[in-house]
Amino acid sequence: MRTNRIIERVLDHGVAPLLLVPSVILLFVILLGPFLYMVWTGFTDLHYALPNRDGAFVGFANFRRLMQDDPIFWHSFWLTMKFVFGVVLVEFMFGLGLALLLFHYIKQHRFILTLLLVPMMLAPIAVGLIWKLLLSGDFGMFTYYLRYFGLADQQTSILGNPSLVMPAIMLIDVWQWTPFVTLVILAGLLSLPKEPFEAAIMDGARPLQIFRDVTLPLLRPIIALVLLLRGIDAFKEFDKVFILTGGGPGISTEMLSIYTYRINFRDWDLGYGAVCAFMVYLVVLIMCSVFYKAVYWNEGRSKTVGKAAS
Amino acid sequence: MAVSYNQISKVFGDGTVALDNLNLEFEKGEFIVLLGPSGSGKTTACRILAGLEEATGGSVTVDDLEVTSLPPRERNMGMVFQNYALYGHKTVYENIAYPLRIRKIDNGNIDSRVRAIAKVLQIESYLDRRPSQLSGGQAQRVAVARALVWNPEICLMDEPLSNLDALLRLETRTELKRLHGDLGQTFVFVTHDQEEAMTLGTRIAVLNGGKLAQFDTPRRVYHEPATRFVAEFIGRPAMNVLDGEVAGGVFRSGTFELPVTGQPNGPVALGVRPEQILLQEAPTDQTVSFDLDVLELVEPDALMFVKKDNTSLVVRVMHDTTGLDRSSQIHLEFPEHTRHFFEISDGRRRS
Amino acid sequence: MAMVATLIAILILFLTPYLWIVMTSFKTRLDILSDAPLWFFTPTSENYPTIFIDKNYLPLVWNSMIVASFSTILSLAFGTPAAYVFARYDFPGKEDLFFFFLTTRMAPPISIVVPMFLLFSVLGLTDKPIAVILAHTTFNVSLVVWMMRGFFADIPREIDEAAMMDGHTRGGTFLRVLLPLAAPGLAATAVLCFILSWNEFLYAFILVAFEGRTLTVGIPGLVTPHGTLWGQVAAVAVVATLPIIFFTFLVQKHLVRGLTFGAVKG
Repeated sequence: MRTNRIIERVLDHGVAPLLLVPSVILLFVILLGPFLYMVWTGFTDLHYALPNRDGAFVGFANFRRLMQDDPIFWHSFWLTMKFVFGVVLVEFMFGLGLALLLFHYIKQHRFILTLLLVPMMLAPIAVGLIWKLLLSGDFGMFTYYLRYFGLADQQTSILGNPSLVMPAIMLIDVWQWTPFVTLVILAGLLSLPKEPFEAAIMDGARPLQIFRDVTLPLLRPIIALVLLLRGIDAFKEFDKVFILTGGGPGISTEMLSIYTYRINFRDWDLGYGAVCAFMVYLVVLIMCSVFYKAVYWNEGRSKTVGKAAS
Repeated sequence: MAVSYNQISKVFGDGTVALDNLNLEFEKGEFIVLLGPSGSGKTTACRILAGLEEATGGSVTVDDLEVTSLPPRERNMGMVFQNYALYGHKTVYENIAYPLRIRKIDNGNIDSRVRAIAKVLQIESYLDRRPSQLSGGQAQRVAVARALVWNPEICLMDEPLSNLDALLRLETRTELKRLHGDLGQTFVFVTHDQEEAMTLGTRIAVLNGGKLAQFDTPRRVYHEPATRFVAEFIGRPAMNVLDGEVAGGVFRSGTFELPVTGQPNGPVALGVRPEQILLQEAPTDQTVSFDLDVLELVEPDALMFVKKDNTSLVVRVMHDTTGLDRSSQIHLEFPEHTRHFFEISDGRRRS
Repeated sequence: MAMVATLIAILILFLTPYLWIVMTSFKTRLDILSDAPLWFFTPTSENYPTIFIDKNYLPLVWNSMIVASFSTILSLAFGTPAAYVFARYDFPGKEDLFFFFLTTRMAPPISIVVPMFLLFSVLGLTDKPIAVILAHTTFNVSLVVWMMRGFFADIPREIDEAAMMDGHTRGGTFLRVLLPLAAPGLAATAVLCFILSWNEFLYAFILVAFEGRTLTVGIPGLVTPHGTLWGQVAAVAVVATLPIIFFTFLVQKHLVRGLTFGAVKG
C-alpha cells in the first residue's frame, strides 16, 4: 500500500523527467558522445594507414591544413554549394509549378500525388542505381534516346564526362526531390484561407497579380521551409553520387560528403578526416538554426504553418 | 462548512494574477455559479477546486479536510468540460464507464450504473456510438453522465453550455436544474452568461479581476448588487449608472437632475435598471424629460435609448410605443425603491 | 481536360525510370544488353531466385527488416514519452532542448559515422546489427519527438484533465488515454521511421561490412565496372523499394507532417 502511494506520487509529479530524460540520455550517449570524440580526434594525427600516427595531440595543425593547404576540400565545398543552390532552385521552380497545376486543375489530387511520391520514397542508393542503369554508356535506355535524337554523340558516356556528369547528377536529384517540393507547397496552398483571394478578385486583380500579391506572400513561410529543408538535405548528398560515380571522373563529382568519406575510409587519415566531418557538421548546424528560427521561432512555439492535402 | 476557499491566490508563470485572495464558502447540495467576464478568474477558481491547477497561495478545504495539494482523483469530484473532452477512441458507453473502470468497480456494477445514469440523461440509445457521431447536445449529456456516474460529491462544470446553439442551451439549462434537484449533489458551474447564472444558481459568486465581488442568491445579486460592477454586469440591458454629485438633496449629472433623499452631499453614482424606469404619458413633478434617440422593438418590450444633452439612458418598457419617433419627448419616472447608489471611488454600494 | 492529359503524360514520363528498373528485373541478360531499349519482351523470373537464393542475398532482406524494426521500436519507445513532455509541460530550456533534437535529426551522417565507427570498433559492435540499429535510432528518435509532439498537441488538454478527474495519475493519463488517442499518428510515425531506416545507406555501409549487411549496403557491391548483372541488380532494387512504396501509400496522409518536422500538417 505504501509503495503504491509512492508510485502514484511519482506518476503524478515526476512524469516529465521520467519520460524525457531517457531519450536525452540516449542521444547524448550515442550521438553527442561520438561527436565530442570526433572533435577531439580533429586535434590529433590519428591515421590508420601510416605508421607512428597513433593519435598524438597536434593542436590546430589539421585545421591549418584545411584552411591553407587543401585545395581539394575547397573544390568539394564549392562544388557542393553549386549543387545545393542549383538543385534547390530548379526543384523549387518545378515543384511550385506542378503544385499550382495540381491545385488549379485537378480536383482529386490523391492518386496523382501518390504516384508522384514514388521517387522521393525510394532509397537514395536505389535511385542512384536506377540512373546508373539508364545512363550506362553501352545499353542505357536514356543514353540510347539521347543519341537517337542527336543530343549526344556515339562515344559520349554521360557519367564518364567531367562536364556532363555534374548536371546529370543534379537532374537526378531534381527527379527525386521535386515531388517533395510539390507535396509541401500543395499542402500549403490547400491550407490558405479563401478570403484574401476573394478580396483580391473583388479588388479587380488579375490572376498573375493575385499570384504575385496574395499567393506568394501567404506561402512565404512554407516556401522558406521547403527551401531550407531541401538545402540541408542536398548539402548532405552522398548515396547517389557514391554509387553513380564515387566522386569521379577525377574529382569532378567529389562533393563534401564523398571527400570526407575518402579521407576517412579510403586514406584512413582520421585526424584530418574528423576536421572535414566537423566542417560539414558546422554548415548543416548553421542551416539548421536558420531553419529553426525562420520556421518555428516567428511562428510561435510548435505552431504549424499550414494544414493540408488529402 | 462544506467547501471553502481560504485566501486562495493564483499567479501564473507569466505574472498574470488570476485570483487574488479569494474567500468563498458554500454548503453541500448547493448549485453554485461562478460568474464573471473573461479574465475574472472564475475558471481558475473551478480548476483549483478540481485540482487541475495548483493555487499559489491559500488553501481549499472540503468537509474540513484540506485538499489543496491532492491530485484530482483523490478529491471525489467530477467535471464537465466546455468542449466535453470525450475520449474519441471509446464508445459512449465506455466513456461513461471509464471513471468506474479506473476505480476498479466490477463489471456488473459498472453496467447497471452506466445504464442508470444514461437513463436519467436520456442517452440510452446512443451508448454504442462514438463521440464523433454525436451532436453537440448529445456529447454534452455524455460528458455530464461521465462526470456523475460514480456519484462524486461535487460536480464541476466549466461553461458546459457555451458550445451549444441557443435553443439547445435553454433546454439543457432547464435539464441541469432538474438534474440537480433530482440528485442533490453539489454543482459548481462556471459561466460568463448572467442569464444562466440567474436561472441555475442557488447562489452566485460574481468574480471580477480575480476578486470576489459578491456572493449571494440570484435575487439579491439582482436587487442589491454589492458593487457597481455587479450592478452593470447583471441584467440586460445593463443598468444605467450615472456619475454625478448630490448637493442639497438633488442628484446632478450634467443637466440631469433628480431629487433624492437620505444621501449626503458629495460625488456619487446613481444606478437605475432600464426595466424599472417608468414611462409617463405627461410630465409630473416626479418625471424628468428626455429626447428619444433610438427606439428598438424587442417584442413584447421596447428599448428606448433616450438623451438629455450629454446624459444617455436605456429604458425598457412594455408600453405600446406606436406614435413615438425620434423627435418625441419622453417623460421618465425613477421610483425611489429602484435607485442604487455606488461610491465613485471604489464602486461599493451605499447602504 | 487537356491539362489533365498533359499532367498524366508528364507523370508517366516521370515514372519511367522506376518502371524501367522493374522491367529490367524481369529481363534476360540478352534482352538487357540489346542495342535498342526493349519495351516488349518475354518476362523471366530467373533473376529473383538467382540473386536471393543462389547468391544468398536473402539474409540481407532479413537484416534490413531487423534493423528497421528494432530502430523503429527503440525510437518510438524513447521518443514518444519525450514528445508528450514537450507537448504538455513547460520547463526552462525546453525550446533549446527541442532544437537539440532537431540537430540530431539533421546531422550529416558522414560527420557522425566516423567517430561512431571508431567508438563501436572499440566496443566490438561493428558488423553487428545493433550498431546500425543504434545509429538509425539517433535520427529516428528525433523524428518521433518532432512528429508526436504535434500529434499530442492536437489532442485538447481537457482530455488529460478529464482523465485525471476520472481518476488517473498523470502517468496513467499518458499511457491509458493519450497513447490510444494518438495511435493513428503513432502508426504513421512508426511507418515513416521504418522507411527511413530501411532506406538508409551510409551508416549501415560503414558500420556493417559482412554478416550484418542490409539490403542497401548490398547494392553497390553488385555494380562492377564491367559485367554488372543488371537483371539481378534490378531484382535487388525492386525488393528494396516495392515494400516502401506500399508503405508510402499507407502513411500518405501524414507524410507531409513527417517530412517537414511537423511544420506543415498533413
